[in-house]
Amino acid sequence: MDRSEKLRQRARELLEKKEVVMVIGFGPPSDSGISPVLFATTPEEAENLTASTSCAQNLANYLLKVRDRGRVAVVARGCDARSITVLLQENQLKRENLHILGIGCEGVIENGRKSTACAVCRHPNPTIYDELIGEPVPAPEPDPEILKADQEFEQLSPDERWERLSAELDRCIRCYACRQVCPNCYCPVCFVDASMPQLLGRTHNLSDNMVYHIIRALHMAGRCVECGACHRACPVGIDLMRFNRRVAKTVRERFGCDAGTDLNQAPALTGFKPDDPQEFIQ
Amino acid sequence: MPDAENFEPKIVAFLCNWCSYAGADLAGISRLHYPPSIRVIRVPCSGRVDPFFILQALQQGADGVLVSGCHPGDCHYLTGNFVARRRFAVLNDLLQFCGIEPGRVTFAWVSASEGERFAKLVTEVTEKVKKLGPNRKLKKELP
Repeated sequence: MDRSEKLRQRARELLEKKEVVMVIGFGPPSDSGISPVLFATTPEEAENLTASTSCAQNLANYLLKVRDRGRVAVVARGCDARSITVLLQENQLKRENLHILGIGCEGVIENGRKSTACAVCRHPNPTIYDELIGEPVPAPEPDPEILKADQEFEQLSPDERWERLSAELDRCIRCYACRQVCPNCYCPVCFVDASMPQLLGRTHNLSDNMVYHIIRALHMAGRCVECGACHRACPVGIDLMRFNRRVAKTVRERFGCDAGTDLNQAPALTGFKPDDPQEFIQ
Repeated sequence: MPDAENFEPKIVAFLCNWCSYAGADLAGISRLHYPPSIRVIRVPCSGRVDPFFILQALQQGADGVLVSGCHPGDCHYLTGNFVARRRFAVLNDLLQFCGIEPGRVTFAWVSASEGERFAKLVTEVTEKVKKLGPNRKLKKELP
């Protein structure tokens, strides 16, 4: 029995026994090659559940929208599970209201190639689950091209780096799709929308674009699970993962925290150690 | 364009109420001289300094930013500066990554008894920012 079949069978059982009110997963891929998110509330609807490389969205995002409906089952790959862990740590979800169907992930294929985030994936298997569907998969070798590009970028002079990022972020139309798809961006009023006081300019402006992306990356520090949802959602194709990878690396190296891998470890920026490195402070 | 010789930087200084602000006060009552480049904003704790404050200061035309609070272990609120330190570490790394010149934003611990140190710090920061020249990167220009 393959994974999709096993997943359908378990989803059916859960819905028939009324253990959950809904199973969130993915349906079969549409013509565009991307699987739509499927919200199955009856055993019949669960017949369409699929597990494949065409499943792009981070499902933790949808849990926030149905959290008052009762117990919900969710299909969770490495990044979904890590997002769920972060949301649990931040008291946005209740563990008893979740039934996590863990599943190993082989990465998202987009336009015939592995998505950027998945090419350097470190956690293909769920870190938290109630039951595991199928076998865990081995972590893939990180794509050397991406690692090399990152290294080359960091070796540029500050002015060159600024030029490169300016050219990239000048294209940002501030549609905030990156914020909307992010499961860990859930503030009722985002700082970009605040109007009393208005914190950030509303128009297209390089300075505001830069500040938006810097602050967004900072808000994700120690929380971003590098699922790549923001990168996939960007209509102008800005390499947002470059910021996220950098911040995640800083947090890993300085504080030894990896977002969403350990439910009992406080998120990096809410805790501290008295002997945290402070070589940058005079 | 102001020539490099006569460039007088504007530096926004976020000083914690309990240590650094008192340190600046001590520098004042001790009649110590330091360059008139800083504009002080008093905050309750270095933990109150949101990275957004720092970026907004640069957006609005500050040439440099100084953030200063109590030494680790001396925080009036016990852990404010420890939490701030992690936040500043990530901000500092990200600013360098984006290509903001090192030295544009300075973090320092200054206690209430370090008036002399405060005067020296401001002198150093002013020199550093002077060398970097006016802030052109994050400054918001009207179209």
